Amino acid sequence: MANLTKTNRRTNPAFWVLLALTLLGVGLSIYRLVVGLGPSTNMNDHYPWGIWITVDLFLIPVAGAAFTISLLSYFFGREHYHAIVRPAVLAGLIIYGIVAVLLFLDIGRWNQFYNILVPGYINLHSFLEEISLSVTFYSIILVLEAAPIFLEKWNITAPIKWIDRSIFFIAGAGIVFSVLHQSSLGSLFLIMQHKLHPLWWTGALPLLAYLQAIYTGLGMTAIAITLVWRAMKLPMDRELFRRLGQVMSLNLLLYGAVRFGDWMGSGELPLLFSGDAFSLLAWLEFGLGIIVPLAILLSKLVGHSAGPFWAGVFSLIGTFINRLMITWIGLAEPNPVGYIPSWVEWMITIGLIAGGFLLYSVIVRQFRLLPEAKTAH
Amino acid sequence: MSISRRDFLKVAGLAAGSALAFPQSASASSGTDSNDHVAMLYDATICVGCNACTNACRQWNETAPETDERGTYDAPRELSAETYTLIQLYQGEDEFGFVKRQCMHCVDPACVSGCPVTALQKTSDGPVTYDKDRCIGCRYCMYACPFHVPRFEWDTARYPVISKCHFCYESRIQTGIGGPACADRCPTGALIWGKRGDLLAEAQRRMDENPGRYVNYIYGKDDVGGTSVLYLSHIPYENLGLEDLGTEPVPAISEQTSDFLLPTIFVGGPLLLAAVRYIHKRGGWEETWPI
Repeated sequence: MANLTKTNRRTNPAFWVLLALTLLGVGLSIYRLVVGLGPSTNMNDHYPWGIWITVDLFLIPVAGAAFTISLLSYFFGREHYHAIVRPAVLAGLIIYGIVAVLLFLDIGRWNQFYNILVPGYINLHSFLEEISLSVTFYSIILVLEAAPIFLEKWNITAPIKWIDRSIFFIAGAGIVFSVLHQSSLGSLFLIMQHKLHPLWWTGALPLLAYLQAIYTGLGMTAIAITLVWRAMKLPMDRELFRRLGQVMSLNLLLYGAVRFGDWMGSGELPLLFSGDAFSLLAWLEFGLGIIVPLAILLSKLVGHSAGPFWAGVFSLIGTFINRLMITWIGLAEPNPVGYIPSWVEWMITIGLIAGGFLLYSVIVRQFRLLPEAKTAH
Repeated sequence: MSISRRDFLKVAGLAAGSALAFPQSASASSGTDSNDHVAMLYDATICVGCNACTNACRQWNETAPETDERGTYDAPRELSAETYTLIQLYQGEDEFGFVKRQCMHCVDPACVSGCPVTALQKTSDGPVTYDKDRCIGCRYCMYACPFHVPRFEWDTARYPVISKCHFCYESRIQTGIGGPACADRCPTGALIWGKRGDLLAEAQRRMDENPGRYVNYIYGKDDVGGTSVLYLSHIPYENLGLEDLGTEPVPAISEQTSDFLLPTIFVGGPLLLAAVRYIHKRGGWEETWPI
C-alpha cells in the first residue's frame, strides 16, 4: 500500500500544486514578519482587519464539525457518528492550526503573543480574550482527541488507554470550550453596535454564531465524507447521511427563525427591502445559506448522497458571506478609504489552506481514519 | 450504572474547576467618581484654528510632522500613528467652525473593555492609558472605539504600537508639570483642562450667560455614558463629525453578555452534558429523538 500511495503522489499533479502553494505561502509569511504589516498587506487605519480575520471567522465554524460530532457520538450515544469522529477531529485540528498561524501573522506585536495567557493581563470582559483562551485550550483537547490516530500506528498503547478512559472528560471539555468560542465569534461584534450594519448587528449575535457553527460544521462533514468515501471507493452510509441532514436542518431552521425574528422584532425588516447593496447581500446570504440548504434537506434529496453534500456547499457559501459582511463589508467607515487584500495576503491565505489539504491527504493515506479502512490493512 | 455515575462526577468536576479558573474580572470603568477625573473642555466658538495645540502635542510627544510632498506644511488630515490630536475645519454655507480631535477618554471606554490583555486601562484619575509591553497588536480597540481614535503603526515591522492621545497623564499630570501639553499651550482659552465636574459647570455657565451663542448641548456630558473631553459649539455637532451615539456606554451590551454567558456555559454546559449522558445510559429514549 505504501508503494501505491507513493506512485499515486508522484503522478498526481494536485500534490505538486498544493506543495508549491504551501511553500510560497510559507515564504511570504516570513516576508510579512520581516517587513511588517504595512508593506505586505493593504490593511489601514480604516480597515484594521482584513481577509485573514474573515477567513479565520469562516474556518472556525467550518471546523465546528469536530465538536458537534463529538457531542452526538459521545454524549447522545449515536453509534452512527462514531465512524466520522476521527476525520472530523483531524480536520478540526488542522483548521485550528491554520487559524493559529494566520492570527500569529495578523497581530503586530507577535513577539509577545503569549501575553494572552499571562494571568495578570487577562481581561475576561474582552470576547477576543475569551476566544484566544478557549481556542488555545480547545486545540490542546483536539490534540488529545486526535492523538490515538498516530499513537496506534506507532504502537504506543499506554497513552491511548489513558485517553480512552478520560474520553468523556476530554470530549466534554472540548464541547464546552467550543460553545464558548463559537458563540464568542458573534459576541466579538456586540461592542461595534455603532459600526456594524444593522442588518447584521443584533444582541443575538452569540446565539446565531453558535447555531451557525453547528450547521456549517455538519455541512463541511457531509462534503468531506462524500469526497473521502468517493475517493476511497467505500459504500455510502445512507442512514448516517439522513441523520446528519436532520440535525443540520433543525439548526438551519432555528437560525433562520432567530435571524428573521430579530429583523422583525427590531423593526429592521424595511432595510431588507430598501434595494441597496446591503439588502441584496442579506438576501443572498439568507437565500443561499439558509433557504437553499433547508429546501434540499427537507425534500427527498436528503436520502441521496448528493443532498447533504450540496446542502453543505450552500451552507458554507452562506456562512462565508455572513462572515465577510461582519468582518469587512458591513463595518462601514465614514472615511472612504477602502480595502482590497494585497496579493501577499491572498497567497499566504491560499498557501496555508493548501498546506492543510496536503497534510490531511497525507494523513488520510498513511493512518486509519475510517473504520472500514481497517480491513484494507 | 456505576460508569455513568463516575462520568457524571467527572463532568461536574469540570464545571467546578472551570468556575474556579475563571473568576469575574473587574469592570472596565475606573470605579472612581467621573466628576473628579481630569478632563478638557473645547469651545469651538473661541478656537481660531491656530494649531498651537497640535504643535505642542508634537513637541511634547516627539511625533513626526506629516508634511506635503514639498515638505513644507505640517498638515495631517486625520488622526494617525504620528498625530494624536489635530484641528479640523467645518465650512458650511454661511458658517464655519473648528473642531479638535483626540481620544475622548470615555468614562466607560470600549477600547478598555475590548482589549484582551489590559494594555489599555482607565486610570482612577480618568485618562485612558496604553502599555505597549502588554499589547499584542490585535487592533480590536480600533474597532471597539466608537470615535475611530486608536491608530496603528503600519510601517513599523518590529514591533508596531497602538497610538492615541494619553492626556499626557504619566509625563505631565502625574509629574505635576501641568495639564495636557495641548491645553497648556492654547493661547485663546478655547481649550482648558481641570476636573470634569468643574468643566461641566463652566460649560453650563457659558451657555446660560450667552443665550443663542451655542447649540444647547454639551457634547460628552452624557454621550456614550460620558467622556472626559467636553465640547461646546455654535455648529450642530454632527457637522463637526461628533455623531449622536446615544447615552448608553458602548461596552454595556458586550459586558452584560459576557457576565451572563461565561458562568452559564461553564457551569450549565457540563451539567447539561452530564444529564444527557446519564439519560442516554439509562436508555429507552433514543428512538423518539430525531438526531
